[in-house]
Amino acid sequence: MDANPSHGLKEPQRLPFESPKIRRLVLGAYWTIIILALPFWWRLTSIERIALPSDRVSAQLDRKLVFPLDVQLDAPSFENSSPHLARELNKVLVQTLRASPTWRNLDIRVGMGETAGARNRVGDRHADQSPVSNAYTVVFGDHTAVKHPRQLVVTPENASVQRLASILSELLAPEISSIQEQRVIQYSNRYRLAFTLLNENAASDHLENHLFPILSQLNILHNATVESQVQYHAPLAFEPTEFADGNTSFHGVTPEDLTVFINSAEWSLSSSVSNDPVLHFVLFVPSSSRQPLCILDAHGSRTNQTAFLLPQWGGIFILNRGAQDVMTHLTAADLVPVFSAFANQLIALLGVPSLPRNVSSDVASPLSDWQLDALLRRRTSENILNSQQTLDSIVKLVDQIESMPVDQKVKGDVHDALSALEEAYRSAVESPAVPLRWSSEALSLASHAFFNPGMLAMLYFPAEHKYAVYTPLFASISVPLIVALGREIYAWRRERRAARNG
Amino acid sequence: MAKTIVTSALVLSLFVVSATPTKLSEGYHEDLAIRPLTDGKVITAFTFTTLLGGASPRDPRDSETSAQHYTFFPLTLGQILREYAVTELHLSLNAGKWNYDGWGYPDHPSVGTGAELWAWMADGGPLSVDERWIGLRNALAGLFCASIGSLDDRRTSSPASAFPLSSIPVHHDSIPYALRYATLPSEHVCTENLTPFLKLLPCKSRAGLARLLDPQHVFDADWHGLGVHVRSTEPGVELRLTVQAVLDPVRRSGGRRRDWSFLSLFNRRIDVPCPVANSSTVHLVVPAVRGYALSPEPVSSNDTVSVYSPTSHVPLDVAMSWPEEFTFNYPLPPPAPQTPLSIKRTLYGSSQTRGVLSVSLSNNGHVPITVGYLETLPALVTLWMHTLKVVVEGTPRVDLMSDIIYHPPLLLANGHHGPSTLQATLTIPPKRTLGLTLDLGKTFLRYTEHPPDAMRGWDLPPAVLFPVPVPIRSQGGRSIPERMYTPTLLLDLPTPDFSMPYNVIILSCTLITLIFGSIFNLLTRKWMVVKLED
Repeated sequence: MDANPSHGLKEPQRLPFESPKIRRLVLGAYWTIIILALPFWWRLTSIERIALPSDRVSAQLDRKLVFPLDVQLDAPSFENSSPHLARELNKVLVQTLRASPTWRNLDIRVGMGETAGARNRVGDRHADQSPVSNAYTVVFGDHTAVKHPRQLVVTPENASVQRLASILSELLAPEISSIQEQRVIQYSNRYRLAFTLLNENAASDHLENHLFPILSQLNILHNATVESQVQYHAPLAFEPTEFADGNTSFHGVTPEDLTVFINSAEWSLSSSVSNDPVLHFVLFVPSSSRQPLCILDAHGSRTNQTAFLLPQWGGIFILNRGAQDVMTHLTAADLVPVFSAFANQLIALLGVPSLPRNVSSDVASPLSDWQLDALLRRRTSENILNSQQTLDSIVKLVDQIESMPVDQKVKGDVHDALSALEEAYRSAVESPAVPLRWSSEALSLASHAFFNPGMLAMLYFPAEHKYAVYTPLFASISVPLIVALGREIYAWRRERRAARNG
Repeated sequence: MAKTIVTSALVLSLFVVSATPTKLSEGYHEDLAIRPLTDGKVITAFTFTTLLGGASPRDPRDSETSAQHYTFFPLTLGQILREYAVTELHLSLNAGKWNYDGWGYPDHPSVGTGAELWAWMADGGPLSVDERWIGLRNALAGLFCASIGSLDDRRTSSPASAFPLSSIPVHHDSIPYALRYATLPSEHVCTENLTPFLKLLPCKSRAGLARLLDPQHVFDADWHGLGVHVRSTEPGVELRLTVQAVLDPVRRSGGRRRDWSFLSLFNRRIDVPCPVANSSTVHLVVPAVRGYALSPEPVSSNDTVSVYSPTSHVPLDVAMSWPEEFTFNYPLPPPAPQTPLSIKRTLYGSSQTRGVLSVSLSNNGHVPITVGYLETLPALVTLWMHTLKVVVEGTPRVDLMSDIIYHPPLLLANGHHGPSTLQATLTIPPKRTLGLTLDLGKTFLRYTEHPPDAMRGWDLPPAVLFPVPVPIRSQGGRSIPERMYTPTLLLDLPTPDFSMPYNVIILSCTLITLIFGSIFNLLTRKWMVVKLED
């Protein structure tokens, strides 16, 4: 391998910078820089994913809100009854509640209180100070009724364990059938009540008489904004069928037609200005050629019903005026049945439970404390369940989609929702109104976190696009790097083998 | 179906109850003004006025959760006005260029091409005027299906002297009022805007004058525009919904006749009166030259106007014909301009970086005319004020321009530039043409700021000429009676090659790889002398 001077050039192997050592150092330097740069590259191109408190969220799922209820039987009234009445009643009630899917979270305690009657007799002032609490009393009276504050009057016939238990469970834990449940609009702390059609003149008085008492009682749950309009051209989207009934004829709306009764393309009912859910109440006056317009039952025969309810949307009242009566205006008396129907529909849409059939109401206001409390407890449990599920969905979603960014805002909302839930559990001991407020806040925070627009950002720029941009550069650079590395390793191994053999 | 609708309208209308003192009294009036022109075109202007008696705009400092009860006033619009505490609102959506010379002043002065929105709002309250302005334009964009939402701070200015507050300020404790004004000249009015517009009317398009508004025919017009105008007057809040269209029966008849009727213009008649309208009239401005025949006979008429009443005469199909005219001939020479002022506005210059804005105003009358001139340009162009020239018949006349106010584009907090405004008072001598030229620079936009159809160019909003008080020194001079709009301009901005980023990626990657590869190979290759075998 001596230099061959014949061509007059220097042998490259002899040059100091051409030694294998230098060459390997150069190669090593390249690879060192690449390896050192890798963490930086990783850091710069990765998306921000703050860890969510998934343990706390999953722990939340098992938590249940417990409402303690304290039912006191008035001792003087019940002194003639069985001494174990309270204990037996407690047992029956606990069994009933345990069987119910919605009311398992009630912790009911029935006691015999000396002071129960007396406390309420003298303590009206006291009861007014705390508008919602967990103590209920049962006293004897001449008819079965609910009274303010949180008092149930029962006749001696109804005082047996079975009958009292059924009345109490219906009052404290009213079962809502699945059909009724579907009607109830989703909870929101603000609603807009939109009254449409011929409600203009007397509307304000009627709102005051029929709806405002209900709304003012429900203002712990919801705030309502009222608006009304008149639509002069509100054609139906379908043609009602005409029937002859003897010498009179009428137009009928079948139950299938009722589902498409609202002609949302032609009736401008919706409001765009706020996100509050709207409850519509529509008073529909059919054209004179279609009067009377009747609602038919499933078998196609005429019914006396004039109003119907669209679940979670609102109510409709069909006002037939008779052709000879056409020239009259709508009087206040005409609107009485309309607005009492609207009031009933509002109650159904908001999910207010009705009183048991054999219990009457001695309360001046339209809703009794028992109904309000049951509604509050129901809405609170719903909200808490919904927020738990929403939080769980966020955690699951973030786990599933790896390229979904999670920023500080989402994390903050999740934390706030969790602490609002904690507050709800903590305050459930005192009264049902405070936990409702917390649960509603938890639900809105959880939804806010779930719909955070920042979480969608990266979904539109998936990793595949990134590779498409990188490949023209990285693929062509990496080829010489890897080939050089392989060649050096091969050369180095051959040298070692040669050294061992030689 | 039509019959049942009609009867339902009749029945429903009869239930309208007289208002009690506690309720707001509402009134609804509709009017159609028709003006045939000598060149055969027919200008139609619909006005639907709803008056909400006793109402006043919401004070922004009050909370907004009070009940709203409306009879005729559209609830959807009322909610928006209430929510954002708007005192005065003017929205117009127009298509086409209003030809002042041929058509005269329009019945409703807002005829600028594209969308124009301006609102006066009382200041104060928890939400600032700008926050409410954002909410207002988004709500209106949703209500009218128009891109008013894109009238952002890059297009919003506040030229209070050109668009004065015409409402009566209701809050007497001197809250300041603020104006927000924005235009979008590239907006095109279409059926999707007319449909929600008609829904705001008490009788929709099912009865009354609105029966005539058939989208196919209205949008076939040479010029058409919709307008929503809300202001608060002494009796209450007034809402005026306007539709204007310039129709051409000569074109429809193949250039032979200029006869027209409701059926030929709109393909509809007024077959049902709107029963809830307090008044409903059709005004026909008859031409000075006789020789026409009208059918049916008008309810009342004088030398200039014939009046019809769709409430007493249905179905109403007003027809006008020229029985003695065999074929219609366009008047030659063309009639003299109908407005005292003729406007031309052009943008010239061939380069993509500089241009010249030229406005020429011709006074057709015998007295000097003094007008306010307002130019609101988005930051796409920069006006060079030192190049401003005012020329009358080749001689510079700087004395004819006064009260110049210029706001250069302002850099806003979000990195955008606000519009630049130039406002001045111009006096045009009688029977002369005043020329105003101004150099402008065109911006080089960022790659992402270009619209999808970047090669089409950008529309520049129309300049506005507005009435100003006439200075005493101009002898016998006068101003214009109402606002006038110049045509819009199309601005050609330098547009990049939009495939550029990908080309750059590929090219620079290739280059880097080439350099890297050769240096790397130089450094790491083993060099040796290869002996060639002979």
